[in-house]
Amino acid sequence: MITLTIDGQRVEAKKGETILQAARRAGLYIPTMCYLSKVKPIASCRLCVVEVEGADGFILSCQAPALDGMVVRTNSSELFTHRQNIMKLYDVNHPLECGVCDKSGACDLQNKTLEFGVDSQEFSAKEHKRDLRKWDFIGYDESLCILCEKCVHVCNEVIGDDAIEIYFGGYSSRIQPKGTEELECTNCGECVAVCPVGALISTDFQYKANAWELEKIPASCAHCSAGCSLYYERKYAGTCEASEQKLYRVTNEFEFSTLCGAGRFGFDFENRVEGKDEVAFNKAIAAFKKADTIRFTSRITNEEAMILQRLKEKYGYKLINEDARHYQNFLESYATMSGKTLFNGSLEALADADGVIVMGSRILTDNPAVRYHITMASKRHNARIIYMHPMEDKQMQNVVTQFVKYEVGTEEGVLAMLAKTLLEGKIDVKKITTFLNDLDEGYLSAESNVGEEELEAIKKSLTRCKRIALVIGEDCINHPRAEQIARLAALFERFGGISVLPVAPKTNSLGVALICDLDEEAGEYTIGYNAPGDFVLSSLGEGDLDMPALNQQEGTFTTLNKRVVPTHVALPFHGYVLNDIASALGVEARYTIDYTEELPQEKGFEAVRFDDIPYYFTNQEGEIRGYELKRMKHSVDSTLEEVAELPEFNGAILYRCDPVLQFGPQTYKASQLSKEEPILYGSEQFAMAAKLKEGMRVRLSVEGVEMERVFKIDPDLKGTIALNPTFDLGLREDLLSSIYRYSQTKIEEVG
Amino acid sequence: MARVVFSTWRGEFIDNRGKPESEWVESAYKLPEQYEADRNAKAFIGWDGFAIFDEDVDVIRLGTEYAATYQQYSEACGRCAPGRWGGRILYDLMDKIARGEGEVSDLEHLKEVSRTMMETSKCEIGRTVPKPLLDMMEHYHDEFMDLIENKKPSKHYHLDEVSYIAKVTAPCMDACPTHVDIPAYIEGVRDLRYDDSLKATRQTMPLAHTCGRVCPHPCEDECRRANLDEPISIMELKRLGADYETDHGLEWLHPQEPAKEKIDKKVAIVGAGPAGLTAAYYLGLEGIQCDVYEALPVLGGEVAVGVPEYRMPVGRYNKDIELVKSVGTNFIMNTKVDADMLRKFDKEYDATLLAFGTRLSKKVRAKNEREDMPGYWGAISFLDQINLYVKYGIGEPVDLTGKTVVCVGGGFTSMDVVRCSVRANAKKVIMLYRRDEKTIIRNTTYEEYHEAVEEGVEFIFHSAVEEIIEDENGRLKALKCNRFELVPDPNGGRPQLVKIEGADFIIECDYLIPAVSQSADLSLLPEEWELELTSWGTLKTNGRDYMTSRKGLFAAGDCEYGPMTIVNAVGQAKRAASVISRYVRTGEITLTDEEIMEDHLRKLRVYNKDEKVTGWLPGLPRQHSEKLSVDKRKDNNREVNLGFTQEEAIAEAERCMRCYYIAMAAV
Repeated sequence: MITLTIDGQRVEAKKGETILQAARRAGLYIPTMCYLSKVKPIASCRLCVVEVEGADGFILSCQAPALDGMVVRTNSSELFTHRQNIMKLYDVNHPLECGVCDKSGACDLQNKTLEFGVDSQEFSAKEHKRDLRKWDFIGYDESLCILCEKCVHVCNEVIGDDAIEIYFGGYSSRIQPKGTEELECTNCGECVAVCPVGALISTDFQYKANAWELEKIPASCAHCSAGCSLYYERKYAGTCEASEQKLYRVTNEFEFSTLCGAGRFGFDFENRVEGKDEVAFNKAIAAFKKADTIRFTSRITNEEAMILQRLKEKYGYKLINEDARHYQNFLESYATMSGKTLFNGSLEALADADGVIVMGSRILTDNPAVRYHITMASKRHNARIIYMHPMEDKQMQNVVTQFVKYEVGTEEGVLAMLAKTLLEGKIDVKKITTFLNDLDEGYLSAESNVGEEELEAIKKSLTRCKRIALVIGEDCINHPRAEQIARLAALFERFGGISVLPVAPKTNSLGVALICDLDEEAGEYTIGYNAPGDFVLSSLGEGDLDMPALNQQEGTFTTLNKRVVPTHVALPFHGYVLNDIASALGVEARYTIDYTEELPQEKGFEAVRFDDIPYYFTNQEGEIRGYELKRMKHSVDSTLEEVAELPEFNGAILYRCDPVLQFGPQTYKASQLSKEEPILYGSEQFAMAAKLKEGMRVRLSVEGVEMERVFKIDPDLKGTIALNPTFDLGLREDLLSSIYRYSQTKIEEVG
Repeated sequence: MARVVFSTWRGEFIDNRGKPESEWVESAYKLPEQYEADRNAKAFIGWDGFAIFDEDVDVIRLGTEYAATYQQYSEACGRCAPGRWGGRILYDLMDKIARGEGEVSDLEHLKEVSRTMMETSKCEIGRTVPKPLLDMMEHYHDEFMDLIENKKPSKHYHLDEVSYIAKVTAPCMDACPTHVDIPAYIEGVRDLRYDDSLKATRQTMPLAHTCGRVCPHPCEDECRRANLDEPISIMELKRLGADYETDHGLEWLHPQEPAKEKIDKKVAIVGAGPAGLTAAYYLGLEGIQCDVYEALPVLGGEVAVGVPEYRMPVGRYNKDIELVKSVGTNFIMNTKVDADMLRKFDKEYDATLLAFGTRLSKKVRAKNEREDMPGYWGAISFLDQINLYVKYGIGEPVDLTGKTVVCVGGGFTSMDVVRCSVRANAKKVIMLYRRDEKTIIRNTTYEEYHEAVEEGVEFIFHSAVEEIIEDENGRLKALKCNRFELVPDPNGGRPQLVKIEGADFIIECDYLIPAVSQSADLSLLPEEWELELTSWGTLKTNGRDYMTSRKGLFAAGDCEYGPMTIVNAVGQAKRAASVISRYVRTGEITLTDEEIMEDHLRKLRVYNKDEKVTGWLPGLPRQHSEKLSVDKRKDNNREVNLGFTQEEAIAEAERCMRCYYIAMAAV
């Protein structure tokens, strides 16, 4: 640690920290307009200048390192004058439209203008016409832009889209789409989040509400297993308080966390009901009494999963949740090889890695949070990123350093060869070395199409890397050979010191996998909870009994990051909840969250009350939300099966893959995301193989689930695999979400 | 050194206003009084003050134009609040006064805004633009007050006879022979925008991989950061952008969109070394077809066959060459151009650029020195054989197992010879050098010398070969050497090397590799063209437009300058390409204002080693990249310099002070 003095106060700093970081951690204030803690210092606003003893002139505290023994002064009349002058300059010709500006009340320019007492404009500049631009979700008002560059930095350094840039031109400088006429990006909206003024805005939210009218409900995103922190912002939709509350937008603590577009724009998926439907409720109770099976999705809280488990314990229901069961099997197999109940990887380790291997995932759409952490690894550490998948992803090109294409279905063989390449000489268990030595590499190479040179190139490229991470995607978890793949993946953790992160396929797959005893075969009569069944409880509003959506519930999720995170009620639900049914059936609890402290400790959960789970942010530690699952010892079995014969997929193949912003029926229900058309995207080559033409309407059936799609050619795609979405299938989506993602099916033109 | 009416340049104060010419004081600086041969400058204004050469100049308009220029130079501004808005206010207020609408309070606002800009701006351009304006307000106060009080426009406000020609520079850019926009590419690294970084480099330097690895970086000798602590590691930061493009397999990041269609002009280029490649690239970008003739079976010239693999991996160099190919360059290899071909080129092409380098090893001038003596091995052919085999698998490997090698030299080539000899498994490698350790470091680099010492090369300083001794079979077997000492000149001049009598010594060896210098092989020049040559046997040009004494025939790189650096060749070829691109269209030999200003500023010198730097935290150490350890490198050709880690690169980039300046001449 370094010790320095700031404004007479002794402050400790870590080596490599800047003066500003040290000051902030100590709770000392230095004004900034362009500083964003999650990106490199931007250094455009110059407000953070300070005086340092022994240095001539003013020193930029956001960029200058804190040094041992340094004496810093953050304020003086001269510094105040300069800062005031900078604010005067920022204010020159800034449109006086605060009355209608979205940002008013939460605007850094307003705040700092008041702080530095700029109450009049003594000089002006000739103004020119400034553009107003509007894209799908995002709008840009050039005249309001102060060119702090936060948006540009976050887009490049954290998101990885690199979709916007500064047009440099002195007073004519502005933000513009990079390399394209219109904005082409993944619409994460992080640029809107970080904008300190009203220049970048959500087109949906514009003119709808003032910042100070909105109540922020801290929650965890319900769409994918990253469970990112977010605020649902609500207010009464009408003028009197008796009117219904409505969600206006989602925001995030952008200094410390990041949110994707699904979380940000897909927020109003609530299930509105008038009141308690007693008739339907009684039918539900009767159905439960009749049923022997409950089928449910992993888009569920830990507490609800606990209720279902208790119901099983009491009544012997079979619990069917295929994606969680596959994940459970994966984790169990993994644990037998790694010797720990849970994998060692985390998002933090990923962002900190200098070498990353992504295996079996189209990660950009599968899990944006994982992708952002890969971007951070790439940008912060120039990490070598090896992307292994049957399909190249052009949008990942600016972070990926090596793309390794393997044939569909050969994940097991590829991972085995990779283990041999990277772990040779590191393994001291005979069973395993024998397994690796006995690999028929000629066969595996030929079938998977991954050659020796490619494997050597991976090894070479990772030579200098000290912190390697392996991301295992859903293609592996829902693979017929998932258990063997899991054991192979665990080798990297156990012998390679590599941080392994299996990406949980759905919001709470990990929680369900840890909490529930899941069954393989359904019985005679099935209750479907947000899943198909003979009697359906649905938060989509299309079942036999309405249930609350995840933004209407309190409880916890277990994220892919092994954290138990809380979410709160953003909108009230007037009907019955699962706990009501369970209570009626004799599994009693006052509130659903009474189960929080009962989550199984033997699986790593803590006996902590819901209300005691932390959720806050500090300058010292960033996001403090939830708690981490305990990793415990697990018995080890080093057995590996012989690699199974690698399957062959020929001709046109469909890959189950939703577009960015879509994760299933919840996102599709949200008003801003509901316009999305389900499109089958394929390459020219796919079109030829499947005899399709651009714009053709087609019908196809996967595992008995029928769907219609419009076929379009995506020039960025190659090969004979097309991306087939399932977000529009409602509850039927559940039938597909746990099978191996690649399939072959007949595609017919719709007449 | 320059006749001025008035000057505040670099702290001087000269005011000859109203004095008889005989009493005029001259400026101490090489200010550009004469803009071009037939055009005089009226005034010069820049980061360090302003100078008036012609009393008739409208000083307030000059200041207004200077402020306006700051607005226009997009590449260097718009990046910070004080600079962006402050610069705008400076211009608007100056213009308000100049057009006769100013008020006294405007002067106060100007001073206030200037002060904040000078103290807080991100780069030096914002910090220095107000300087000459404040000088004006002080020393031409009456003129300002006259306009304000009488509400009248400045005297030339409505006249357009004077051109105001501006140029953005920086000390490092000025020192770089090809004037790479160094602060921009470093900013690209700092901002993690490697594509922008690479594009900035490629504006004037197509060989980003190469000059991010093996440039002797004269820029670092004129880095302003040295005034505070240590210079920025400029050269190594260049490599990041190039590696980014290569590592991610991106499409070529050109500095400008290459011309969609070829124009109907063709240029022949003789030699595919750094100069030839550079010219081909910039001409190609403009749609001019280039045919590059290369004698060797490989492309790249001396960087390919001279610079060893462990310093410049050929895979990376080939990326630079592929970039040149990507603009439609046509390479004709294994073709040694002779006089007949040049005569043909003269007819078939719209212009010809000679860039064939200096490929003849000079002798060490010892007794009994014969090139055909076995054991006598010229550096060029020695390195050719090593590099052709190591990099391209052509020919035979060099195996020096059990042999003793003596190299006579002291420059980069000799370093390559001795370090390659180590890698060829020589028993003993000796470098013989006339001068001392300090000089060899100055002539090469600190790293290069120390890496050679680490690898076991024995350096014998203050020595030279007097005679080559052969055995009974006529093979070289030993060298008789003289030893020298440096004797200070009693008159204070350069110390002289004086032979120490009786200190001669004999070195038994198997090979003598002379690497003292190279000369150009001029046998390809048609005699009847009577081309003018320099006294050191290279093609003569004026060093500005690079045309030889024959119209349409240009020369750049070592064959023009003599053996020099890669970046020097690139700089010359970049300029030559620019001149050629206009010549093939118009038949005229011209320089752009940008180029004219570039040359003026180089004469004036942008870097001032005595300037005191403020506003930056001193004492931040220069980053050093990891090098392969001796054991891991000396028996193979793996790249020695592993490059910066990301953390090192960013820390280094954050040390850069963005010392951009604007200079402007009123002509």
